[in-house]
Amino acid sequence: MSKQEVLGKKPLQILEKIRENLERLNEKIEVMIELQKHGRKDIQPIPEAPLDVMTLLSMPDHLRKTAMTVCKLGRATAEEIAQQTHRARAVESAYLNQLVIMGYLKKERKGRKAYFYVDREIQEG
Amino acid sequence: MGKIIAVHSYKGGTGKTLLSVNLATTFVRHGKKVCLMDIDFRAPSLYTILKMGKVECWLNDYLNGTCEIDKALVDLSDRIQGNGKLFVGFANPATEAIREMSAKDRKWEMRALGRLLALRNSLLNNKSFDYLIFDTSPGLQYSSINAIVAADLVLVATTLDRSDVDGTKRMLHELYDLFEKKTEIVLNKVLNDFSSKATKEEKQTKFEDMYQVPVVGIVPCFCDILKAEGGIIFANERQTHPFARILDEIATKIDNNI
Repeated sequence: MSKQEVLGKKPLQILEKIRENLERLNEKIEVMIELQKHGRKDIQPIPEAPLDVMTLLSMPDHLRKTAMTVCKLGRATAEEIAQQTHRARAVESAYLNQLVIMGYLKKERKGRKAYFYVDREIQEG
Repeated sequence: MGKIIAVHSYKGGTGKTLLSVNLATTFVRHGKKVCLMDIDFRAPSLYTILKMGKVECWLNDYLNGTCEIDKALVDLSDRIQGNGKLFVGFANPATEAIREMSAKDRKWEMRALGRLLALRNSLLNNKSFDYLIFDTSPGLQYSSINAIVAADLVLVATTLDRSDVDGTKRMLHELYDLFEKKTEIVLNKVLNDFSSKATKEEKQTKFEDMYQVPVVGIVPCFCDILKAEGGIIFANERQTHPFARILDEIATKIDNNI
């Protein structure tokens, strides 16, 4: 690879990094908006919170719908969840991140995509 | 793709197991590949009703993660008259096993839910089952709610006992609705009111108004069923009996609507 090509790629990499950071910032803002909407008391982290059916039953309706869809799909992006629930991707992203903060879901980044899942096996024992 | 049906009720003794076994048998007679599972770990019944001998692996073991689902299913197709297939998963009826299952914690129940959800892929997708039927325990038990969450359709067996009607109505709004589950009702042990001139359709409409969900079957109180003491599968051994015919109608309705 020539020096020119390397230099040419650099701005692209920087732009990609900026875009990734903006996406993360956007997710955080969405969570903050949701926190304000529903009040902080609903979104307290619970240590080692198992997402069992009784927990699902006691959840607010909007979060239950998202959590149930993650249970059904196993592992999914906010986009995939939104396709199932027929709600906006940004809304699902906010709810998913709330569930992560509460300790019910895990989040894993793979490249540009963020995957959400129920961590059932790690708590085995 | 196949579907999962959870047969549930508010109270015990409403006929869940009777309905599950006979519905599974009816589907097999209609040529379907069916898997029937005893999810009532507190009072297992299928082991006795289906007169089983040695069972290599129980559903308890599958949910504990100590055996694969293939090993927990027994092929009983040769017992049923029909072109379909019947596989059955049994709950362990030993007192020690019941005690152990009653003492599971929330984390275990969460993993059990994961294993029930995984059946959609392992049985419906990979093994091409048409129906997976969960015979559950009554009321708000963990194992039953797990089965409901994993199901596509909840078939509620209920009687006209006042506490059963009230409890069933509550569950419709406070359980099945919350999980956005398609729910249908089978009314069991309905006494024939000879003074009433209401047609079958009028009775169905009356009950649907009462519960606000579809009623797919109205089963009269049959002395023959009581006399059989759980030893006869009517849908297989007495195919011309009115109960077997009602099951035929229920199976057809489910098949058309699900």
